[in-house]
Amino acid sequence: MLIKKLNRGSGVTLPGYVARLIDPQILSVMSGMVREKTIVTMGTNGKTTTNSILYHALKAEGKTVIINRTGANMLNGIISAFVLATDRKGRLHADYACIEVDEIASVRVLPQLKPDCALLTNISRDQLDRFGEVDITYNKIKTAVLSVPETKLILNCDDILSYSLTQDCQNSYVTYGISEQIFDDISRSEVRESIFCRSCGKKLSYDFFHYGQLGIYHCPNCGLKRPEPDYTAENIVLHDTARPSAKPSAGTMEKGQCAAASADYAAQVSLSAGRPVLSDRMYSFTLGSMEISSQARSPYNIYNTLSAYAALCALQTPMKKFKQTIEGFDYGNNRESVFMINGTRVQLHLAKNPIGFQQKISLVLKDPDPKDVIIQINDTYQDGEDISWLWDVDFQYLANANAATITTNGTRRHDMGLRLKYEDIPCSSTTDLRKTVEKLTAEGTKNLYVIVNYSGLYRTNHMLTELQAITKGGSAS
Amino acid sequence: MKLSIGHLYPDLLNLYGDRGNIQCFCKRLEWRGIEAEVIPFLSGSRIDFSKLDIVLLGGGSDREQELVCQYMKEIKSDFKNYVEDNGVVLAVCGGYQLLGKYYKTDKKMIEGLEILDIYTEWEPERLIRNIILNSPLFSAPIVGFENHGGRTYIGNHTPLGKVFFGLGNTGKSGYEGVVYKNIIATYLHGPLLPKNPQVCDYLLERALKRKYGEDIKLEKLPDRLEQKANNYIVGRYSDKKYVLKETIKRYT
Repeated sequence: MLIKKLNRGSGVTLPGYVARLIDPQILSVMSGMVREKTIVTMGTNGKTTTNSILYHALKAEGKTVIINRTGANMLNGIISAFVLATDRKGRLHADYACIEVDEIASVRVLPQLKPDCALLTNISRDQLDRFGEVDITYNKIKTAVLSVPETKLILNCDDILSYSLTQDCQNSYVTYGISEQIFDDISRSEVRESIFCRSCGKKLSYDFFHYGQLGIYHCPNCGLKRPEPDYTAENIVLHDTARPSAKPSAGTMEKGQCAAASADYAAQVSLSAGRPVLSDRMYSFTLGSMEISSQARSPYNIYNTLSAYAALCALQTPMKKFKQTIEGFDYGNNRESVFMINGTRVQLHLAKNPIGFQQKISLVLKDPDPKDVIIQINDTYQDGEDISWLWDVDFQYLANANAATITTNGTRRHDMGLRLKYEDIPCSSTTDLRKTVEKLTAEGTKNLYVIVNYSGLYRTNHMLTELQAITKGGSAS
Repeated sequence: MKLSIGHLYPDLLNLYGDRGNIQCFCKRLEWRGIEAEVIPFLSGSRIDFSKLDIVLLGGGSDREQELVCQYMKEIKSDFKNYVEDNGVVLAVCGGYQLLGKYYKTDKKMIEGLEILDIYTEWEPERLIRNIILNSPLFSAPIVGFENHGGRTYIGNHTPLGKVFFGLGNTGKSGYEGVVYKNIIATYLHGPLLPKNPQVCDYLLERALKRKYGEDIKLEKLPDRLEQKANNYIVGRYSDKKYVLKETIKRYT
């Protein structure tokens, strides 16, 4: 098909755009060709990871699965995913479709897609300039869900906003939630959404918070409370395993040794395609009767795994390989990649909203070693043009992060700098990220964190991959 | 010296990094050796305005503003007396709307504090973008971000500034915000103060003079980073090519 030929470079929305010009009903038609089920994943945080878990879990059961590419979660991107999966005669061969849908796009996408189930991760503050207010996001999702009354909802009942859908919509639903307190203080930003009862407007009481507005709540006035979830994760333990041998600890190795070890290490890292081989602490937990030793390093990923589990159980899909799939699952998902440049361990992290950023700060603080930190903040439409969310992140913790240097970069580097200045945390700024990485990897602490928001991710990832190849992970000349 | 800053209803009005405005007040006092105390008043708690030197009323969603409205009734006259007694107020976004007579949303009528003779009406298209003002009060432009569904009609009040780029009070009037006595009310967040230290110092100086007498003068602080952040936005939107590019992007 001509449309498939249009799929060049990184743009994955053009084929969808063209296909829709030719046939406006194309999405309805194509989604009808999916043999078993269509699953939609929505929500502020964790969409991509959750959708990827669903995809891999179904693939492991021998199913043919369609998935839309990261970020291509608006109407055209979703149509593209279907169009590109067809054969030359325009026929679709797929057992399942796992589709991540942007909250704004959901209003147009859901009625056409008519999914069997819609999984909602959570509804939190994100890109307020696009969505206006979190209530607007909620209303978009509600409108979308109301248009597909046959769709089963998979809801996070720890999130009062998500759970409100059960009152506003008639759809059948199942809930998932976590009853153990697994988040640390730093993960819990002070900023909360919706701690007021959606029914009567009185302030909710919480036994404890997970993060944001998620937690175990009840309304002392009208009696609304967080229900006992249908699916839950229990016996959640963060295993304090020793650092795997691959870590080329610059402090304990001789220089020559370090270079050789890091070359091996770099090979290992690239072989595992960003898998967190260096992870120090990983979670184990039980889902139903399954005991899972996951590679999840953050409690958010337990939520993501649990929600995927709930969806698959609700759809009664086969789950013989689920445990094995999760234990081998790479939560890094290309959003967290580790590089070896000039003998320095460089971690690239994506943080695109306050909750995501809080999580990264918590991660940085868990690493006791000295480090250099680069924070890149852009304000393109994709990132969100409004960067006021920077002030909703508890950056004050970075003062105790054992950071030798902090450098800001990106179009809004000065705003980021100001955010730190008003916590009395010194930093500098750069317009040349590559040069700064070269300098810090050569002269710095050998432990570099690069945190970027959305639009900088691919370019930075590319640049770091290139630098890793040039220096072969070892010492530079 | 010491200033007490009352943050009104942070449990309901805390959108758009309002915390940055508080942080800015506190740090710029602290850096000058002046004590700062922040008192958060959660919805429902009693507020003694005589103990406050600065009041911050932040932004909230339409739903939250409706909830705030019921608590507002209890403080209406105390708040008004505070303002008429030259009390310093920074009201941002939803807080700005609440100072007026009413805010008519698509569904409801939210009663305001009636401190300013202004009113707000909701329209479906939200006004969302970076914004730059020129204000006769300050030599440097004021920069920020606006995001509001309400159009605020300010009648005979003095606006905070003239819109250089962006939309402002109604999207059409060409003006933004209100200045009345020691109130600055505006749609600008971003948040407002860290990138506009001139506005922060203006409010701090007013509060200090009210408490300690007219002789008080604030010492200058090194504001290079603040200026850079401010200049970046002004520079960006002074570039006609950039503005054209952004406009095309917005409508395609």
